[in-house]
Amino acid sequence: MGLLARLRRRLRPPRRLSFTREGRIIVVLAVGVGFAAINTGNNLLYLLLGWLLSFIIASGILSEMVLKRLVVERRPPPRVYAGEPFLMEVVIQNAKPKRASYSIEVEDLSGTTPIDKRCYFLKIPAGKSQRTSYRHTYARRGLYTLSGYRIATKFPFALFRKSRDVDAPLDMLVYPARVAVPRPVPKTTSRGDATANRLGRRGEFFGLREGRSGDDRRDIHWRSSARTGRLLVREYEDELARRVVIGVDNAMPEAVRDAVKDGALTPAHEAAVSAVERAISVAASLAAAYLEVGWTVELCARGTHVPAGTGRVHEARISRALALLPYVGDDVALATIPPKVESVLVTPRGVSAQNRPAATTVMDV
Amino acid sequence: MRFAVAHKTATYLMVGFAYLAMTTGGAISPVMALGGLVGLVISWWWEPPRIRYERWSLAWTIASVFALAYAVLTAVVTGDFLGVGGQFLTWLVVAKAFNRRAARDWQQLYLLAFLMLVAGSVLNPELTYGLCFLGFVISSTWAMTLFHLRREMEDNLLVKHAAADRASERVEVQRILDSRRIVNGKFFLGTGMLSFGVFLAAAAVFLALPRVGIGFFLKSRGGLTLAGFSDGVKLGGHGVIKNDSTVVMRAEVPAKVGGREAPDIHWRGVAFDYYSKGQWTRSSRAPRTGETVQESQTVDRKYLMWDGPALPWSKVDALAGQLVRQDIWLDPLDSDVLFGAGQPRIVEYQHVVKPRRFAAQYNDEMRLTHGSTVHYTVWSQLRPPPPDVLRAARGPLPRNYDVYLELGPEITQRTRDKALEITRGLSNNYDKAVAIEQWLKNNATYTLVLADPGDQEPVDFFLFDRKRGHCEYFASAFAILARAAGIPVRNVNGFLGGEWNEYQGYVAVRAGDAHSWDEVYFPGAGWVTFDPTPPADIDQLGRGGTGWRARIGRFLDTLRFQWTKWVIDYDLASQLELFKSIGRAIKGAALSVKAAAVRVKDEALEHWPITLAVIVAPTVLLLRRRRRGGGEPLLGARPVRRSRTTVAATYDQVQKALGKAGVLREAHTTPKELAVRMAAQDLPGAAQVGELVELYYAAEWGGRAEPGTLARAAELATEIRAALDAAKRRRRR
Repeated sequence: MGLLARLRRRLRPPRRLSFTREGRIIVVLAVGVGFAAINTGNNLLYLLLGWLLSFIIASGILSEMVLKRLVVERRPPPRVYAGEPFLMEVVIQNAKPKRASYSIEVEDLSGTTPIDKRCYFLKIPAGKSQRTSYRHTYARRGLYTLSGYRIATKFPFALFRKSRDVDAPLDMLVYPARVAVPRPVPKTTSRGDATANRLGRRGEFFGLREGRSGDDRRDIHWRSSARTGRLLVREYEDELARRVVIGVDNAMPEAVRDAVKDGALTPAHEAAVSAVERAISVAASLAAAYLEVGWTVELCARGTHVPAGTGRVHEARISRALALLPYVGDDVALATIPPKVESVLVTPRGVSAQNRPAATTVMDV
Repeated sequence: MRFAVAHKTATYLMVGFAYLAMTTGGAISPVMALGGLVGLVISWWWEPPRIRYERWSLAWTIASVFALAYAVLTAVVTGDFLGVGGQFLTWLVVAKAFNRRAARDWQQLYLLAFLMLVAGSVLNPELTYGLCFLGFVISSTWAMTLFHLRREMEDNLLVKHAAADRASERVEVQRILDSRRIVNGKFFLGTGMLSFGVFLAAAAVFLALPRVGIGFFLKSRGGLTLAGFSDGVKLGGHGVIKNDSTVVMRAEVPAKVGGREAPDIHWRGVAFDYYSKGQWTRSSRAPRTGETVQESQTVDRKYLMWDGPALPWSKVDALAGQLVRQDIWLDPLDSDVLFGAGQPRIVEYQHVVKPRRFAAQYNDEMRLTHGSTVHYTVWSQLRPPPPDVLRAARGPLPRNYDVYLELGPEITQRTRDKALEITRGLSNNYDKAVAIEQWLKNNATYTLVLADPGDQEPVDFFLFDRKRGHCEYFASAFAILARAAGIPVRNVNGFLGGEWNEYQGYVAVRAGDAHSWDEVYFPGAGWVTFDPTPPADIDQLGRGGTGWRARIGRFLDTLRFQWTKWVIDYDLASQLELFKSIGRAIKGAALSVKAAAVRVKDEALEHWPITLAVIVAPTVLLLRRRRRGGGEPLLGARPVRRSRTTVAATYDQVQKALGKAGVLREAHTTPKELAVRMAAQDLPGAAQVGELVELYYAAEWGGRAEPGTLARAAELATEIRAALDAAKRRRRR
């Protein structure tokens, strides 16, 4: 954290106060009644003024009481995809042993500004917790950081909105958007999964994976299965024939990269960005589709490489890499795709780049 | 209670209290006030599904336009803008109560209620305003809180998210409004206590706000014209004088002259020297009230000389110590006269902005222009000189005192003769005055039923024909007879007695206590009060009864008095006095604490062995408990940290070693899940970890500490470490 940020954090007032419409009316009334009281000497107007002022004071004290000792926990879903709504679960706990909290709003903060959604809790009994969720959509993939959250209340009279900002950084990794894309027809001689039916062949032991319907019973690793309570089967090197290398070209002309950095995109730039993003989404969706049917998938991009692997954990690994995939220049090489292996290169349509390797299938999207 | 009903009830209570605060002062016509109240009550049921607001909106709009036009016209014609404004406010509140559709309407209702309270501050200065204000504070806290919750519910709970992939669903607000779980008795009690706190805070702010009134628009409320006291005496007329029990003056007096058994006090107000045709007036030749005035920034002090010389203020202060002090709160009457007990000698009046000018005064009267309740302090001489002194009083009259001997030509001869007849054989003015007083008491009776004397001289008619009359007849007859007998005398009007209030220790003087009597001048001894009215009859209201109704009446009057004293007439002077007394109280408390501390210290030093024991014993006890390492906590039940078993400690060490080897257990993973994962990945030591976890679970959470468990756990830990080291070595290779 930079010095300035630290200083700003130190100097930040512990509470924010903003008057509502009702609050402004009350203040105007108090000023008016005060003026009338001074001018007329009418003590009953002084009494009314006293009531208005103590009303405001009581409002401040009560709002402080309801905001105290509230603990918020945000639970994002395990996977968030660009362009798809997700529910962010917000759990709030009232740690006060005796007093309930009323009318609490919780907002996630991006930097110092709240995002467009807020959660409302009508009543949180003493010592209890409540949960709710808000629906939100990230338009683009990437790593988003919610810097903290804001707890606010207008209780008890809605004269003003008092809020407290809490620093609780939460990283939100947004995976590339999921698109429906068919797996290309395998073009290598092994035709992808052809070797899967060659019974009796046992290559070098590669590892264990979860059993699937149709697995040879001889491949079951009984000891590990007994230990874990799940069906685990051996994988052999020869099964790597069902392997695909997915390449995605994330090259972007320098002008576009600068425009992205400056946030000043022209329509042409936007088209290029959309094309690259589409290519990344297609690559991610393809990887998911291959992994779903048990293929081993390896990912190549300029400056990024995810070794071959299988399963859902590997899918997350690839999605993560693609979510964070930066735009680079075409001087950065795309990893060489090994020959005789099924490979798909996804290229953005309309964005030309050098150093593109050969692949069995090229998808220009 | 259902939420919607709770909100509606609180709102109606709030509006109702504000409405009563405005209307109970009497400034709004009773018909209008009652009509508005009935309208508010009916509006309770005027809501869907019984009523469709849209059908009636045009009718309400037209009616409101007519009401506005009527209000403007009436205000212009009558000039009573305040009263008409209050009436129009009544209409607006009723109309809004009949049309409460959305949140905005509720808000407007609250605003109108507040405006009614503001209007009430001018239209109703009575105690009822204070009671309604208390009700308003409590109910407004409920209403505003519930309104806030209602609106937040309507704004925030309209949708619910079942799942990310399912559309949000609308939540029926009506279902929430019908819920009985949101507000209950506890809620009302809590917010009621809060509102009581708000009320106390309002009172504190009220007392603390500096009273620096500029007074641009300051208007007096005008005097009350009451039956009883009047700034003039006119005999004649017919009819029945009605008693009026309205309290017009409250006077705090010392205990020696207060109480239920103490003699009645004559509260002197106006005095007259000139009698003509049944009417007493102040003549231009009457002696002016002699006085010396001391003015300061906040207080005016006057010494009334009467017939004596001026005194230096040091002597006046000394004199004040011998006189009877009265703190008086006088409601506005149709006169600027101030009242004081017996013979007022010193009067003090506090002012805020600039000294108040006393009006021209004659006959030892005190006058001060005041449009509202006025608070002043009087020091009076209550006891006359002894009879022997009065009998011996002789000498020339002071200058201009001959006006007190004048008799008009219309005084009949038989009246003059009667005076001489009554005083025949008596050598001094005192005995003569007593004789006349007694004669009147014995020969005339008191009545409030008046008879018209026609063309006959009223005193003559009273003395010889009617022989019945009220106090003014008695006092006038005494003055005429006394003057006919050569005694300087003047007629005095004021109040007699008053009801003693045992709750607060003050005398409440009512309008019906108005009385008329006389003062006789004795050279060298001063003026002495003579009251010829028969005592058994004059005290219609008396000192107050002892029955429960009288007691309740007096208690209510105490509240009214406190309301007047601390709210209506609270000014900068009262404020300064309050702050001074608070300062004195704090200083006194600090001194008491200091004295107590010194006393304790002295005692401790004096009985040092006991002191030592008191200090040492708890310390030793505390240390012993600490050395034992536990026992019951001394203060409260502090949570005791749970101690872990030795097997758990072994597991912790293994977990640390695993972590170093890159096998981390995340916060959401249980030890067993980690073991399963290790086995699945065939990690080194996985089998041993699985067994160790079983032992750990059994010992730590299962309460099964079988013999040999600890040894086996240690063995497993060693094996795991060895396996991890071996793997590490393999990796290096």
